Amino acid sequence: MTSILDALVTGLVYGGIYALLALGLTLQYGVARILNLAYGDFLIAAAVFATLLYQRFQLSPLVSLLLLLPASFLIHLLVYHLVFVQLERRRGSWRAMEASSILLAFGLSFVVSGAMLAIFGGKLFSYSYLLVPVQLLGSVVPANRLLALVLALAFGGFAYLLLVRTRIGTAIRAIAVDPDGAPLAGIDVRRWAGLTFAFGGIICAASGVLISMFQTFNVPMGVTFTLKALVVVIMGGVGNAVGALVAGLILGVTESFVARFISPGLTLAAVYGLFVLAVLTMRTGIFGRALR
Amino acid sequence: MLEIRELTVYYGLHAAIRNVSLQVEPGEIVVVLGANGAGKSTLLRATMGMVRPASGHVLLDGLDLTSLVRRNLTHQIVEQGLILVPERGGTFTDLTVRENLLLGAFPRRARAKEKELLEFALSLFPRLKERWNQRVGTMSGGEQRMVAVARALLSAPRFLLLDEPTLGLAPVLAKQLLRVLPQIAAQGIGVLLVEQNAHLSLAVAQRGAVLSNGELVHASSAAELQDDPAVRAAYLGSQ
Repeated sequence: MTSILDALVTGLVYGGIYALLALGLTLQYGVARILNLAYGDFLIAAAVFATLLYQRFQLSPLVSLLLLLPASFLIHLLVYHLVFVQLERRRGSWRAMEASSILLAFGLSFVVSGAMLAIFGGKLFSYSYLLVPVQLLGSVVPANRLLALVLALAFGGFAYLLLVRTRIGTAIRAIAVDPDGAPLAGIDVRRWAGLTFAFGGIICAASGVLISMFQTFNVPMGVTFTLKALVVVIMGGVGNAVGALVAGLILGVTESFVARFISPGLTLAAVYGLFVLAVLTMRTGIFGRALR
Repeated sequence: MLEIRELTVYYGLHAAIRNVSLQVEPGEIVVVLGANGAGKSTLLRATMGMVRPASGHVLLDGLDLTSLVRRNLTHQIVEQGLILVPERGGTFTDLTVRENLLLGAFPRRARAKEKELLEFALSLFPRLKERWNQRVGTMSGGEQRMVAVARALLSAPRFLLLDEPTLGLAPVLAKQLLRVLPQIAAQGIGVLLVEQNAHLSLAVAQRGAVLSNGELVHASSAAELQDDPAVRAAYLGSQ
């Protein structure tokens, strides 16, 4: 019984983080129409910097967030305007751009992970932060994971409220569902798509820092996070924030149960099994458009 | 005054509209009649910068908007006080009525007067109050048109362009919808309407013209157009 509870709690902690990291990707894909395959590499970059700041300067990851989130926002805004907008200019339209942007993002993934490999190599990163046991629902969880979950839900909840409760958030959802109609509501699509891409970058960096608090990682793992985020985005429906939360939790719990009761080596296989099942059985998964 | 001056739009080698000139005064309703493919939608879309004209100018109270038009900066044209309700569109169907009207007032120019404009729009279409939190895509065609016109009004327009608002509506609903146009014009807003429904639209308009094969002909008062034998034959049937 306790082992089931343990697996469930661990799964929910990971699931909360997956939901957050998928939210950033789903915003970038659903609003800016860029399937950012470099997402996991940017995430790892944030995780690496959080680790280094902790090890060299004893900087709490909570303080690192204050530095890394604005930095990620600016970097993503630059990438959007210097790379993707240029592509759009050459391509002439958003629709024509969608396919090429995937290749461009794929290349960007190699650039980011390659640069980090050259600097840091493939060594494993980890640090001990808040490694104290906490009782939760009769199970014992390290405080760092719990804090990561609480922060993930706080970030995700804040982003969700921004999207649903504010005029600008509503405009961003309008771009997701009808990019051609948005200018007639006075919405500057390119400007807000760029800011949303950068906002997705903030969520990406936040996920990276939160993951660094409790998980050992190395540079080549970026692609794994991209793929997990992608699975959650597609299961939850592109541009669908609530879908991302539900799919993220399902993914986290599935991983945790498979690792605990079947074999840790099969977690990734389970993720893709779930993904294939979702794509084959759900009609609105991959084609779902509504952002709510 | 909204002034469209010698506007020409090509789709490939084919001229969709050729040298079309048209003026709309504040508070005036002008209708452009035309058959399918005559270039009606192109005229309005080019005025809003949604398609790029080959030549011609768009002026708003003497201010030349042509450079915005040529660069497809539709959102900035909306900020200047022009708005279009496109054919069958003009709403975000995945969003609610409330959210659509909230976005109607997204342009900066609309914010100061948002409350009054919302009251005005809801006085024209009280039905929308009942549908406040309903997704627009689940509403009837007539109600969706109401949302589209209300959303356009919330942008605080000086000139309202309407692309076949009665298309696909039952005659009673079409009549109801066009009946609000004089109330909108009474606020000092100029209305430019393109329609195939000559009966209903000439009844509310002061002036009109016919767009035929991309060229504007028969520009005159609405009353004269109603009596014009050529217009009667083409658009008013045998009545």
